[in-house]
Amino acid sequence: MSTRKSELLGFERHGLTDEQLIAIFRTMLMQRTLENRGFQLNRQGKIPFASASEGHEGVQAGAAMAFARGKDILVPYYRDLGLALGIGLTPYEVLLSLFARAADHSAGRQFPHHYASRRLGLQTISSVIAAQLPHAVGAAYAIKFRGEEGRAVLTTFGDGATSEGEWHESLNFAAVHRLPIVFLCENNEWAISTPLALQMAQPDVHKRASGYGLPGAVVNGMDPIACYAVIGEALRRARSGDGPTLVEAKCYRFLSHTTDDDDRTYRSRDEVTARRKDDPVPCFERLLVEHAILTPEGAEALKRSVLEEANDATDRAETMAYPAAGDLYARVHADGWEPWL
Amino acid sequence: MASTDIATGTLERHGLSDDQLRAIFRNMLLQRQLDNRGFQLNRQGKVPFALGSEGHEALQAGAAMAFNRGLDVLAPYYRDLGLCLGIGLSPYEILLSIFARASDHNGGRQFPNHYSSKAAGLMSFSSILAAHLPHAVGAAYAIKYRGETGRAVLATCGDGTTSEGEWHESMNFASIHKLPFVMLVENNEWAISTPLAKQMAEPQIWKRAAGYGMPGRRFNGFDPIETYAAVKEAMDRARSGGGPTLVEGTCYRYLAHSTDDNDMTYRTREMVAERRKQDPVPAFEAVLIEHGIVTAGDVAAMRKSVLDETNEATDTAEMQPYPQPSDLYTNIYEGAWQPWQS
Repeated sequence: MSTRKSELLGFERHGLTDEQLIAIFRTMLMQRTLENRGFQLNRQGKIPFASASEGHEGVQAGAAMAFARGKDILVPYYRDLGLALGIGLTPYEVLLSLFARAADHSAGRQFPHHYASRRLGLQTISSVIAAQLPHAVGAAYAIKFRGEEGRAVLTTFGDGATSEGEWHESLNFAAVHRLPIVFLCENNEWAISTPLALQMAQPDVHKRASGYGLPGAVVNGMDPIACYAVIGEALRRARSGDGPTLVEAKCYRFLSHTTDDDDRTYRSRDEVTARRKDDPVPCFERLLVEHAILTPEGAEALKRSVLEEANDATDRAETMAYPAAGDLYARVHADGWEPWL
Repeated sequence: MASTDIATGTLERHGLSDDQLRAIFRNMLLQRQLDNRGFQLNRQGKVPFALGSEGHEALQAGAAMAFNRGLDVLAPYYRDLGLCLGIGLSPYEILLSIFARASDHNGGRQFPNHYSSKAAGLMSFSSILAAHLPHAVGAAYAIKYRGETGRAVLATCGDGTTSEGEWHESMNFASIHKLPFVMLVENNEWAISTPLAKQMAEPQIWKRAAGYGMPGRRFNGFDPIETYAAVKEAMDRARSGGGPTLVEGTCYRYLAHSTDDNDMTYRTREMVAERRKQDPVPAFEAVLIEHGIVTAGDVAAMRKSVLDETNEATDTAEMQPYPQPSDLYTNIYEGAWQPWQS
């Protein structure tokens, strides 16, 4: 971890308080627990599907800490469990999504892990790769068009999405109009089963920024403090009218793409095991303990409280009702308008 | 012109012979003549539509000289009249396209100035910006897949096309697979009525190459010799397995986008007049005369021969019949197969 390397020079916390550092760690623990819960529930036959985000905890918790709640807009992709939690989505809301219950924000219509929350400024998630980016750019355009200040859009995607035409069109449009937006690439080196080398000839996504006339930055995505600093700076630039930034966070996907995927068919256990040494959750725990921000007992207590909250959310969500067949046409148009009747 | 060494006064000709230099110049004259002919015929009510390519003559004639006939494949865009002439399309074929006659390669079905020629290795044009680039990359993939060597695909587009998703997808795919592909951007600063500054924040398109891990280069597209050198270097790299290149030629569009456009609604005459000072046709003529490659008399004779050839092609093409309504379903499948008939 880059922040650990600087131990001799002191601990670079980029202005984060102890409480914020602990909050970041708790988000990482919650993401890991809920992520594993999705896989468990799927294997138990209780839910149809879950997508995986293990290995993305550092970048997502760090990025979420840089997000200004009540002002910024998040347009994430389907692997952003930790980002959604970090900006205020509750474990119960995540579980309602996984269980596809009527009380879910999309009333159980969306894919699992495809959240949405108007209250939090969280746009609904697209399964179609890169389809969210023109929407994100549109939201940023609206902020500029209305003359609003101090607001920005944070949009995220994986390395595979950078090969889509919409990705290019979105970066170009945002650059031309100097929109208040941050493009965050969570580069985990795998586009489902396609490795980075078959996805692009030049492995550093951030290097594409200069071709659009944008600043580009790269950050160790396993390091939540570094991610907070780099993404926070990009968001501040966007909020103050200085235009978009392309940030690339290098991380890794430890699990299969989803519960419907078996990654043993395309990568070796040795590869995954070798990368586990960078696992951001135990690495960040060690850092906090070393610097006495957390005691080992404090860490254990946090883990217990996260597990209890996840269990409680699971039990409550599971008992909720499915959407009723009679509700099929609700929420298509406003106010119950059903033009097909 | 950049090709003249200021210190020695010698012409940097990049290996081009006198005959080749004259062929480039004749190609430029012919493009200018046919380009204007399209506009004339439209204003006379004889053809429905024509596209403007004035200002692209040097770029296209130079690039065409770097194309290997019978081996390379050209996937151009609709402003590439001079490139098509330069790889062997005849003025008569151009006029058949503009007049939409039955003996046109596509039976008069395509838009004017949208040619195609299997014999010349010229892929059919798309009016839809960037739609031809995945096709071009597919052709390059086929060359690599079949293990063919010494062949490459030359694809062209304008500056506006670089904003399309297909442009990006094509560049990325070509670079991953190290395809024998050259992306030549003819940057004329106008995407119909959209100026460059509203099209991209970084006006140097070639700089995008690094993001794809491929070489990129910019050249003066008003200089046909410099163009030839830049495109040839890229094509040679592609033909020898060195992968794709992004080359950007700077030029200018002197006319309206097409006969259906009035550019005075979005730019001033003064702006165009200022850029006319760099017009590549008289500029290259001056270079050739200065270096004794042609005399003023040669130029006059060339202009006359180009005009005669254009007039004859116009008259011959105009006399040709239109496609018949009964031919509507031909040229769709090979032979007479019509699967919609029982």
